[in-house]
Amino acid sequence: MTPSHDDLKAHAGAYVLGSLDPDERATFEAHLAGCPECAAEVRGLGSVVEALARSVPQRTPRPELRARVLAGFGAQAPTTRARGAGGARQWLPLAAAVVLSIGIGVYAARLQVRVAVLEDRLEQARLQAAAAETAVADARRVNTELQSAMGVLAAPDLVRIDLTGQMPAPQATARALWSRARGMVFTATNLPPLPAGQIYQVWVVPAAQPPISAGLLMPDTAGAGQTYFNTPPDIPPPAAVAVSIEPAGGVPAPTGAIYLVGKPGATS
Amino acid sequence: MGLLAVVAGFRTDAEDVQAEDVDCLRRLASGDGDAAVRLYDRHARALYSLILRIVGDEGDAEDVMQEVFAQAWRQASRYDPSRGAVAAWLLMMARTRAIDRLRARQARPVTDTLGDEHLAALPADTRDAAADMIGAEQARRVQRALGALPLFQRLAIELAYYEGLTQREIAERLEEPLGTVKTRMRSGLLKLREALAEGRS
Repeated sequence: MTPSHDDLKAHAGAYVLGSLDPDERATFEAHLAGCPECAAEVRGLGSVVEALARSVPQRTPRPELRARVLAGFGAQAPTTRARGAGGARQWLPLAAAVVLSIGIGVYAARLQVRVAVLEDRLEQARLQAAAAETAVADARRVNTELQSAMGVLAAPDLVRIDLTGQMPAPQATARALWSRARGMVFTATNLPPLPAGQIYQVWVVPAAQPPISAGLLMPDTAGAGQTYFNTPPDIPPPAAVAVSIEPAGGVPAPTGAIYLVGKPGATS
Repeated sequence: MGLLAVVAGFRTDAEDVQAEDVDCLRRLASGDGDAAVRLYDRHARALYSLILRIVGDEGDAEDVMQEVFAQAWRQASRYDPSRGAVAAWLLMMARTRAIDRLRARQARPVTDTLGDEHLAALPADTRDAAADMIGAEQARRVQRALGALPLFQRLAIELAYYEGLTQREIAERLEEPLGTVKTRMRSGLLKLREALAEGRS
């Protein structure tokens, strides 16, 4: 059966992220060629993908790489070689020559304009320094957390633990994805609202040892909570994971009612 | 000329960069080495950062950089501005080649656990203000918007883009229905797009 236009349009996001299977991608590209609406959707999402590409930590490549890459241009430049004898030879010293021959004046002028704009922005930023610093710290924290969470999901020793709601919260469910080396991604739904001064605490329960606290969980108003815990790497594999309700700030060993509990099931 | 000057007056940084890039590619296609230098100097940092983020190893990242620029030299004449900016075109090639490298390496027996430590040990970055300007505000906006997404929407997007996993692979890994992963990825992307659009208006 041929997929409908709407089905295909829903593929646009996965397409721009490069996340379609090869056969899905071929089908989508064939459709894309003749569908202006989907083509527009792909273009619109392109800016998101570019921003994703630019949101990584910025690193400056080693200066040596520049010469190496530019030498590659000299070695290749097919149109130049086609121009006649001497072309290839002409390109050999390119890497060295172009480094010097770059239009310094033009480049400097362009830089000056950009620096002026930057200084303007810097001044604005200074005015909001406190706010900006908080935002940067937030972004860093979230980013670190996310990279750790991705590390868990990419871990070869990933263990999945599904938790089921206990007496105080039979509707609640949760899932822990646990890697011994990399920590735990924990997600819960349908948790009852917390009374004032209380918090949910997540426990890793080894086979023959007391429970170890993995961290605290504060669900949103809908009772959903997701978080990453950097569990100690030297703890034994969990025989169970549990969630109890505890005084705000958490406790060293569980004291309150158990809301969720689960044992390791399938591994992937 | 009059109209051109007026239009030029309204140009944003990004449009400026695009116009220069298109000019570079045109001259590249006729073998202009200076154009190659300018293209490299404007985009090397963003491309290298993305590649390094994906492959996690400096040596591999340098190899991939060389591949990406070799491809850019080769295909300069085939660049089609109606499909996006030159910067986006380069970033797309960088991402594709970096994922290819990642996959090729994963197919070999895993011997390195050095990746993260190695990255952490890199010297503190030197700032390149002019190069940073381009898209930096957009990147910050996306970082903020990513931070505001539900964790699993964000994971679906990042596992796809930076780790090169297909939707099916993500679903298998999380033992979630494929439809759930698709929905999360789509909702997350739409929210990011909204956040970017808000910043522009």
